[in-house]
Amino acid sequence: MTLTAPQTQLPPAPPSGRGGHPGRLTATRRREALTGYLFTAPTIIGFLVFVLGPLVAAIYLSLTKYNILTAPKFVGFENYARMFRDERLATTYGNTVLYVGAAVVLINGFALLFAVLINQRLPRVLTYVFRSAYFFPYLVALVYVSIIWQALFQKDTGILNYYIAALGGERIDWLNSSEFSKVSVIIVDTWRNVGFAMLIFVAALQEVPKDMVEAARMDGANEWQVFRRIVLPMISQATFFNITITIIGAFQIYESIIVLTRGGPGDASRSVVMYIAEVAFNKFDMGYASAIAVTLFLIIMLVTLVQFRLRKSWVNNE
Amino acid sequence: MSNTNAVISTPQQSSAARRSRPRPGVGKSISVALLFLGAIGMVAPFLWMFTTSLRDASQAYDLPPQWLPTEWDWTNYAAAVNGPVPILRNMFNSAVIAIAVSIGMIITAPVAGYAFAKLEFPGRNSIFVGLLSSLMVPAQVTIIPLFLLMRTFGLLDNPLSLILPGITGALGVFLLRQFFLGLPQEIIDAARMDGATAWQTYRLIALPLAKNAVSTLGVITFLGSWNAYFAPSIFLNSTDTATLPLGLVLMLGPYGAGNVAQVMAATTIAIAPALIVFLVAQRWIIASLTQSAVKG
Repeated sequence: MTLTAPQTQLPPAPPSGRGGHPGRLTATRRREALTGYLFTAPTIIGFLVFVLGPLVAAIYLSLTKYNILTAPKFVGFENYARMFRDERLATTYGNTVLYVGAAVVLINGFALLFAVLINQRLPRVLTYVFRSAYFFPYLVALVYVSIIWQALFQKDTGILNYYIAALGGERIDWLNSSEFSKVSVIIVDTWRNVGFAMLIFVAALQEVPKDMVEAARMDGANEWQVFRRIVLPMISQATFFNITITIIGAFQIYESIIVLTRGGPGDASRSVVMYIAEVAFNKFDMGYASAIAVTLFLIIMLVTLVQFRLRKSWVNNE
Repeated sequence: MSNTNAVISTPQQSSAARRSRPRPGVGKSISVALLFLGAIGMVAPFLWMFTTSLRDASQAYDLPPQWLPTEWDWTNYAAAVNGPVPILRNMFNSAVIAIAVSIGMIITAPVAGYAFAKLEFPGRNSIFVGLLSSLMVPAQVTIIPLFLLMRTFGLLDNPLSLILPGITGALGVFLLRQFFLGLPQEIIDAARMDGATAWQTYRLIALPLAKNAVSTLGVITFLGSWNAYFAPSIFLNSTDTATLPLGLVLMLGPYGAGNVAQVMAATTIAIAPALIVFLVAQRWIIASLTQSAVKG
């Protein structure tokens, strides 16, 4: 590979590089810089064409009225104003927030519980079996597990209701009642994701220094105190990671709802993402759909930033 | 790991600490019981799927549910494969896309990760930060412009609409940069002193050392693409170009009206590759997925 680019194509050197003379690149450093650009070029081009470009375009489209057939017409913030009058949007956002809250609490709660249980000194074969069983659903496409659950949730023929009835309970209309359609979505989401979060917790639990835990026990701390005062702070890094991941994931719940309830009954289980797809690709209201997408982006970004800001106050960085 | 009765080994634990815990046996039995209960909950749906796939459609919904196969009738599999939805074709489409995306990613991401870790060039850090911030952009925000882009280039209903955006990405660059940062600079410098070009240093020295990180990236990318539904459901719209998840949703029909035994047979086929890969490489997959998360 011969690198003989004219000097004019090179951006100026950083003002205070490695103590070199500002603005003057030696041949070696020029060559290295060019190599750096060549090595990163595919990624940067991909980023510009498939992420940054579309992001800018989405923001522009959100300020237009655009139905694909005729050219986009600039309408300013009309789409954004329209959101405040859109009751369906309020419903779908409400559902989404519920999914996010449930995911954070249930996925992380169960994951931590199972992680603590599995982290005891069990026979290796048991650890292996449990880890595999809990983790496997995470590797299977959400669509496939939703297809299975869709059958299990059937009101009259599903096995879930069979066992509920056998235990003397009422048959539940899992997929067609406005409360339980949401519960079904939450169950599938929790069930599928708990294994991954559990493994993150297990990995963190194994890093907790054993002598520290034992010293606390010797000093008379009970199991709960040990857990609360030593283990929990030591695994805060993993907790932070898990919560961030579950929030971002739950904001984007989509395919499980498509398979389980199609958003129904009415909009009872519909998520914002489903609503965006409907507005964009069924009604071809690209401008309005883009505006909703942009708000979703801003909300996810805001939540993530707040998370990171709060991180300092509770994550133990050693 | 074959010996179930293996004595629970407690080498690191001092006898004093062991004594201080009250009745350790009881606590352990309860937790094993709880874990078993949870594990049954995780596995049962798959077991039900499999037994249902072996039963006649008319008995598929018989209650109480059958948990273990009573007969091994594979006719549903033949029916699923020969049905109106070409699921083998869809599986092939999924495989082509996932393999192409993975290969692209393991070519483009390590080389960029290496540049961001080991090469000096103006703007390096700001470009990297910009790239990294794209991880925060949810797919739903860019999907509309991407759809319009693919439409403009006539790539709708074409696997390229999913392959092209997939072969580069910030996550892979980030993972590999982390790895290369940990690589001692002396190795790189030594190679350069011996007259190797930057490309030779990367290709012959750095990349082989990154084998594990690259395979991890390959697995993550493959699974992500193999399991994807959102973008394929928007870019692909004919049964012949559909990927396997789309095919199965089609087969399920509106409100799950499809033949449940056949759908479960098709789902079993769809899950089988993941199961096989998992059984073969379980330890390795788990290690690679969690270590990038915890240490990242």
